[in-house]
Amino acid sequence: MLRIDRRLLQNVDWLLLALAFGLVVMSTVTLTSLHVGRAGGSVVLRQILWFVIGLVVMVLLASLDYRRLVRAAPALYLLGLIGLAAVFALGRTVSGARRWVVLGPLSVQPSEIFKVCFLLMAVWAITSRWAQPVGKLTLVLTLPIVAVPIVLIIKQPDLGTALLLVPLLVILLVGAGMRFKLLAGLALAGLGALPLAWLVLKEYQRERILVFLDPFRDPLGSAYNVIQAKIAIGSGQLLGKGVAGATQSRLAFLPERHTDFIFAVFAEMWGFVGCLVLLLCYVLLLLRGFDIAATAREPVGRLVALGATSLFAAQVLINVGMVTGLLPVVGIPLPLMSYGGSSMVASFMTLGLLLSVRMRQFQ
Amino acid sequence: MSISRRSLPGRRDAGQKRVMVIATAVTVAFLVLVGQLWYLQVLEGGRFLDASDKNRIRVRPIAAPRGILFDRHGTPLVDNRPAFTLSLIPRELPRDVESRDAVLGRVASLLHIPYQDLTDAVAKVQPDSLLPVRVRRSLTLADVAKVEEWKLELPGVITEVEPQRVYPTSRFAAHLLGYVREANDEQLKQGRYRRGDMVGQSGLERLLDEYLRGQDGGERIEVDAMGRPVRRVQQTEPHAGAQVITTVDRGIQEAAERAMEGLAGAVVVMDPRSGDVLAMVSTPAFEIDRFTGTIERDAWLRVVQDPNFPLLNRTIQTQYAPGSVFKILVAAAGLQEGSLTPLDRTHCNGEFHLGTATFKDWKDGGHGTVDLHNAIAQSCNIFFYEAGLKIGGAAIVRYASAFGFGQPTTIDLPGEKAGLLPRPQAARGRQGRTYPPGETVNMSIGQGTVLVTPMQVARFMAAIANGGVLWRPRLVQRVERLDRVVWSDPGQVAGHVELSPVVWAFLRRSLWAVVNEGGTGVAARIPGLDIAGKTGTAQMVAKSKAEKGQDHAWFASFAPAKAPEVVVVVIVERGGKGGQVAAPIARKILNAIFFERVASVEIAG
Repeated sequence: MLRIDRRLLQNVDWLLLALAFGLVVMSTVTLTSLHVGRAGGSVVLRQILWFVIGLVVMVLLASLDYRRLVRAAPALYLLGLIGLAAVFALGRTVSGARRWVVLGPLSVQPSEIFKVCFLLMAVWAITSRWAQPVGKLTLVLTLPIVAVPIVLIIKQPDLGTALLLVPLLVILLVGAGMRFKLLAGLALAGLGALPLAWLVLKEYQRERILVFLDPFRDPLGSAYNVIQAKIAIGSGQLLGKGVAGATQSRLAFLPERHTDFIFAVFAEMWGFVGCLVLLLCYVLLLLRGFDIAATAREPVGRLVALGATSLFAAQVLINVGMVTGLLPVVGIPLPLMSYGGSSMVASFMTLGLLLSVRMRQFQ
Repeated sequence: MSISRRSLPGRRDAGQKRVMVIATAVTVAFLVLVGQLWYLQVLEGGRFLDASDKNRIRVRPIAAPRGILFDRHGTPLVDNRPAFTLSLIPRELPRDVESRDAVLGRVASLLHIPYQDLTDAVAKVQPDSLLPVRVRRSLTLADVAKVEEWKLELPGVITEVEPQRVYPTSRFAAHLLGYVREANDEQLKQGRYRRGDMVGQSGLERLLDEYLRGQDGGERIEVDAMGRPVRRVQQTEPHAGAQVITTVDRGIQEAAERAMEGLAGAVVVMDPRSGDVLAMVSTPAFEIDRFTGTIERDAWLRVVQDPNFPLLNRTIQTQYAPGSVFKILVAAAGLQEGSLTPLDRTHCNGEFHLGTATFKDWKDGGHGTVDLHNAIAQSCNIFFYEAGLKIGGAAIVRYASAFGFGQPTTIDLPGEKAGLLPRPQAARGRQGRTYPPGETVNMSIGQGTVLVTPMQVARFMAAIANGGVLWRPRLVQRVERLDRVVWSDPGQVAGHVELSPVVWAFLRRSLWAVVNEGGTGVAARIPGLDIAGKTGTAQMVAKSKAEKGQDHAWFASFAPAKAPEVVVVVIVERGGKGGQVAAPIARKILNAIFFERVASVEIAG
């Protein structure tokens, strides 16, 4: 299993890794400047620990043949579902949401890891022989795969992650060659279901959406995050305030500043120029990922790479979109930047999958 | 697009195209983000920078200690001490109404504060305000301990230390000093004060509020989103209020207050050489220290509705009939006008007839044959009835006016009454206006439509003592700020009364006899001290049987008679005879001034 082929090593995508490390370094610097205290060691040390764990997981995944992973997808998917369900039994509640399972000194967010399981499962389903050719039947087969976890995740509640699964599936279907007409029908059906979704949402989630539509609805309540984030980002101006001058972030006006809103902290410190550098890193990393998908030899590899890249891209876009006030606030971390072990590990899992596909490009 | 073309051209199948479509879509999405960042950081950046500056800097005022009022010897009359104040920080209270109310409810039951007071205080300010809203001053140490103990259950509830007034005793010089309270809504409307400012509401505290208040300092503090101070950016020190040096002698003030304990009335002690007010006592007094803290509504109502009017400063705001004290003035007028001589004699049998009316002497059976000297010493009414008619109402009123009656003394306190002098009336068959004889007769013994304030009597006595100088009573010598005099009152002569030296000498001699030659004021006598004085008994028009015989007792005096240093004027409401009630009080005060070392003791607390 861990045979290291020289050819494999030759094809390691060093640029991809370099970009990922660059982002982790930026994250570490940002977190260091925040001095977020927490029991059991500082956030930075924990983040570095998670980074190391992520690296190990990435190497492990990269050394495995992605095709074997896809074959094992149903089992992994089931494990993931069990993990999601475990949250309800063993979960820890943080700010009103049960998303974490405590394992010894660490708390794990199963929904983060589940995203990768879901990706593999979706690829498995779409490329299975029952789903060929890709069409209505594929849709029917894959819908339950997305429906079950969405129900579980929304119950936690973790709206952001649940919302990620749908576009991921759609992108995979597009990549697999599904006709756009069919997708358009699906989109219409989705729109029709929106009022239903409103009923399912929790009070605070509805409030967030209302606040997105009208930020001054409740400036000290739910809109507080958004307004403070905008102030933080905007006050960074062109060149930023530097670490010391970033009062918005350092004085804790910004909630969730080391997790979901870390982009605002970064933007305040380094300004528009810094943001450009950061976003450029992401874009290059993503384009590299799409390149891996485009150059993959066969459909499974292409879909795995496409799915991994899209998952990553969706998270970056949604996170930065919500922090800059373009999208409603949904709890999605910024991959590789936000503090959070599960998110870090999940990000490195997607990187591991990309590496795995790239390394076996010429096999 | 940076997607490499490493794959062979022939292998660019449909799937590859789709990947490129998705990659393009993602890139476009990133461009949208860059656009939004350009808008936020470059186009609107300045505005957000302002917002972030405002966000982190809070200005917290630091109350300046009020200036201290000193007596003439430099002993403080009132001081400041640190006191605990309970405050609420709206921004730190729980956001949702239910848990906020729970916190307020806990505070209310813990410290026995009406719940309504707390919600009212919070309702008056912005809900996101970081400025503490004071809800109760002068907490006890036990209360502070309770709040600290429950700290975790009481977010947004704090105790602050602020300077607060402290008085030697609960009612010390209450009317003179005046009380200090938080600016009321009306004062806030004037725009000169901010909510929570302590403002002098009466007495000298009100008069000199501008000087006493000082300048509040401010702290510019960086706070985090929870309002917790992170560090102090800048601090402007508060400038304590100016020091006020009054003319009051604390020892005399205390002695006078002791002497008046349990009685309703007033005492004025004045230096006839300068017009300085050495003591000003009005009883019953209000509890000045309770007014300064938080006073409950019903306690306030009790004071306001008290039938004894404790808020009234009787030395300048209550007008009494002067009674026999006025005889001094009548004698002065008569002697100076020549209508009266020291040799005039009258036989007093206790009754005086004017037309069909009968005026009585206070002594049944009368005083026998009296001359002017004895008439003053024995306070014979019959003599003065006749004398008054000889002098005439117009002359008496003219002299009264010259001695400052019927007009305010313009002392430095608000709300002073002018007193009242009789006016000439138009009579049938006569030209112009004159004083009817009945009026003149009443006036001659200080009854009828003559009304005076104790302060006016003190000034009058001072003029008798110093030979005619009518001083504007002085309460404040100067106001100092850092050893620089910012305001001063050098003393002001309001007028001169010119009488021949013989008249002055005669008056002083007679007044000395009141106390020292078996006159009506013998109760004021102190061996070894020449006290001159005059008793007075101001008759009340009895409205009911119960009120009958409840006359106001006057005693107006100065000492030493030959070279007067102090004037002591005492009035006891419903006390009875001046010689029996008021004179002993004056005696106590004079004794304290001249024989007890009225040491100025340190203020307690």
